[in-house]
Amino acid sequence: MDMYNGGPEVSIRALKKDSMKFVLSNTDLSVANALRRIMIAEVPTMAIDMVEIETNSTVLTDEFIAHRLGMIPLSSFDVDRIQYTRDCTCTLYCPNCSVELTLHVKVNVDYDDMNDPTIDKTRQVTSLDLVTSDESVKPVSDDRAHPILIVKMRPGQELKLKCVAKKGVAKEHAKWSPVYGVSFEYDPYNKLRHSHYWIEEDEKLEWGVSANAVEEAPIDPNEPFDYNAKPDRYYMEVETSGCMKPEDVALRAMTIMQDKLGGLQIKLDDEFKEDTQRWGY
Amino acid sequence: MNAPDRFELFVLPDGVKKLTITPDTKIPNAATFKVEKEDHTLANMLRMQLLEDPKVLFAGYKMPHPLDHYFILKVQTTPDTTPAHVLGNALTELIQNVGSMKNKFEMELIRAKSEAQKIDNGEGEDLSSHQVDMDF
Repeated sequence: MDMYNGGPEVSIRALKKDSMKFVLSNTDLSVANALRRIMIAEVPTMAIDMVEIETNSTVLTDEFIAHRLGMIPLSSFDVDRIQYTRDCTCTLYCPNCSVELTLHVKVNVDYDDMNDPTIDKTRQVTSLDLVTSDESVKPVSDDRAHPILIVKMRPGQELKLKCVAKKGVAKEHAKWSPVYGVSFEYDPYNKLRHSHYWIEEDEKLEWGVSANAVEEAPIDPNEPFDYNAKPDRYYMEVETSGCMKPEDVALRAMTIMQDKLGGLQIKLDDEFKEDTQRWGY
Repeated sequence: MNAPDRFELFVLPDGVKKLTITPDTKIPNAATFKVEKEDHTLANMLRMQLLEDPKVLFAGYKMPHPLDHYFILKVQTTPDTTPAHVLGNALTELIQNVGSMKNKFEMELIRAKSEAQKIDNGEGEDLSSHQVDMDF
């Protein structure tokens, strides 16, 4: 019946720790785009959502620090174990629906070094200073040399706070997005004329072709325009924040897609039964 | 202050139906489906799948307002079927497609990981001397 017989095909071009490239083919643009949209906005992860500040004598305001904490990616490979707080039976939050992280840094004044300008007295408070209550949910930093900076402190200042990390999706706030970037391209030679390039003088000179063009046959200038052609190869690249493996993001996205469609089918069946007499469907 | 709750985007409130079907009063074999708390992700997929069906005369969707988190899908079919029926078929087809996409992806993952393993071990090396531990 349709041109995408045989179902979608997948080919993985590169698989790294926090990024992957794959080609999705023999499926409709809408399906590929749905996968992209779900990976960005609907795959649940963990992120700091509530911060209780006890002491803050740093130069940054409480809300500034709370916002910075929210942005820190937390490892979320075990997120299925944790419930959404709104679905939980507890009143505010509990270990079933949240993870607590604490931070306490106090920079003591060293009177011997005080007047020595050669000593750097700045204390960098980073994601490494966060102490988690659950080892599976902790700030992402395999590279301990480059942790995430939260605030810089000078002697005499103190920061003490408690964070509550919750499960969520990026539809609510982008901090829950498992991906930093999802690149998505089809038809690199623009055979379908879906793109209209803004040019000064020469399109080929000013735009060139993308790296994905190696996967497709180059354009034949004598070939007439095929107005029935539809896109069927999608070049995708997923770069994660490190909270999950890229392949898991894609797989979870596909599961969410199935749940979405399945859920609607069940609802349609219910309507169908209810309305049989009423509408004659 | 008076900002709407962000979870309104995807949490179905109590007593609200996910799906409502309204048959068209003027056009035969036509109906409007209203799907709550869903967006272009699902709507566009459904529309494109419905258009593949030769019995579908019309299929289109819209999200009437950016602050309302639902979409409406209008479908008209040939007289020998109904909009609800073709939507059911479209859903079945899509579920199958996504299922096979997932299977293909998992197969490819096994292939890609075993290849990565070979590269890690170094080409031409005796593979038997290495412990193979894969976590899938």
